[in-house]
Amino acid sequence: MFTSFIKALKNLFKKPQTIDYPTTPIVKDKDYRGLIEYGEEECIYCLKCEKACPPGAILFVPVESPPKNEKNKKGLKYHYNPHLCIYCQECVRACPKPDEALWQSNKKPPIGIKDDKVNENWFELEKLKQTSL
Amino acid sequence: MSSKTINIPLGSQHISLLEPVRFKFECENEKIIGVDADVGFVHRGIEKACTTKFKYDGIGYVVARICGLCAITHSLSYTAAIEKLLGGEISQKAKYLRILLLELDRIHSHMLCLSHTCENAGFEAMFMRIMGDRELVMEIQELLTGNRVQFDFISIGGVNRDIDSLIAKQIIEKLSLVKQKVLGYIDEFSSNWSLSLKFKGIGAMSLDEAYRFNAIGPLARASGLNIDVRNEIDYLPFDEVGFKMQTHIDGDINARNIVRLNEILNSIEMCNNVLEGLPEGEIFTKIKGKPKGETVMRFEAPRGELMYYVKGNGSAMLERVRIKTPTFASIPAFSHIFVGQDYADAPAILASFDPCLSCTAK
Repeated sequence: MFTSFIKALKNLFKKPQTIDYPTTPIVKDKDYRGLIEYGEEECIYCLKCEKACPPGAILFVPVESPPKNEKNKKGLKYHYNPHLCIYCQECVRACPKPDEALWQSNKKPPIGIKDDKVNENWFELEKLKQTSL
Repeated sequence: MSSKTINIPLGSQHISLLEPVRFKFECENEKIIGVDADVGFVHRGIEKACTTKFKYDGIGYVVARICGLCAITHSLSYTAAIEKLLGGEISQKAKYLRILLLELDRIHSHMLCLSHTCENAGFEAMFMRIMGDRELVMEIQELLTGNRVQFDFISIGGVNRDIDSLIAKQIIEKLSLVKQKVLGYIDEFSSNWSLSLKFKGIGAMSLDEAYRFNAIGPLARASGLNIDVRNEIDYLPFDEVGFKMQTHIDGDINARNIVRLNEILNSIEMCNNVLEGLPEGEIFTKIKGKPKGETVMRFEAPRGELMYYVKGNGSAMLERVRIKTPTFASIPAFSHIFVGQDYADAPAILASFDPCLSCTAK
């Protein structure tokens, strides 16, 4: 009884376990699995990442003005959907030039709001991909 | 239904439930005399998606999303089944790291269940304490895999991330903290008056009933049934890392809690042994080929035996993926335990089963 009373008094003056979020920033681990980033100049357009991605969040779609790269013979452009990505790093493991062409950062994904038309734009890209096959 | 009984539902939405399940209790005064269960509220068609939408090498990530609590066990069972079909052998280090994650998964799942039983018994402060301490395990998992819930740690051929000495040291420190807390809980669960009132002698199941109604996992071990898949398979070296079967004889809610607490202690010991005796070597070996034939793989999830049946025909798409989850197998035992108990105890009994409905309905 007495010990529980002392415990209760101590608990009154203890710091909370939670982080006071907006004022205290959350420390992000450097190995935190975040956005996949892409180096356009180093890419050899082998499309291994596109095939390896389980949810299909990476698409190489033919465009009119493709990025200038001598390896890019089919005129493709890299597209990445951070809202579809599951951050499993399967693409980075499949990439022949990891850390140069494709790597994983610890950045947060952007917030997908309605005005960005995240879904509509992505569905159009998927249709383009289907027709180009 | 006779005119003397009334039907009272529990669920599908109820304050004591974490996930949707509906029990229809047929009650005579306060006593439950009949039970009807419906578990299919969160069906997502994952088994069908595995055979139509995804190739075999991506399904490990799909099945991990069946359940947030036993994500590792699901992806591990599937991956192990595919490795068996392809005939590949993974390195000893990958096996040890898989055990480490599996046991961490068990620790945090059991802690969630314990906190939930406390909440349903009306002990809100204990619920907060256990959930607060569970954060330590979540932090360990984040350190190891880079994410708190969806680990995506296991892939066909090994594991995705290596562990260095700095992380191992942090994990051992945090696990020793968790161990101290768990020893404190054992004291609390066995002597606290308000927990004893709701837990001791309530929802009991005898050894014979556990055997007859096909109880598995902590539910069976609390009744004294020596059943644990970790004891039966030799796919992962559980004996080398110090696995010990935890059983109890009472079979009531308190016995289930004590079994879970002892399992947490055993899992912490196993994690420490893994980190101390981690062999050198590669974490990933490439396994080539397409799955052909059929196989069955079993693993001990936190709630009991998880079984995967995989059938392939030599192409990238599988023919059949069948998942038998522990909660589904235990439903007859659940329904039997409710009979003869007070309706007021039903939420506490239900929480002590630790049902995972998103696994069951998948």
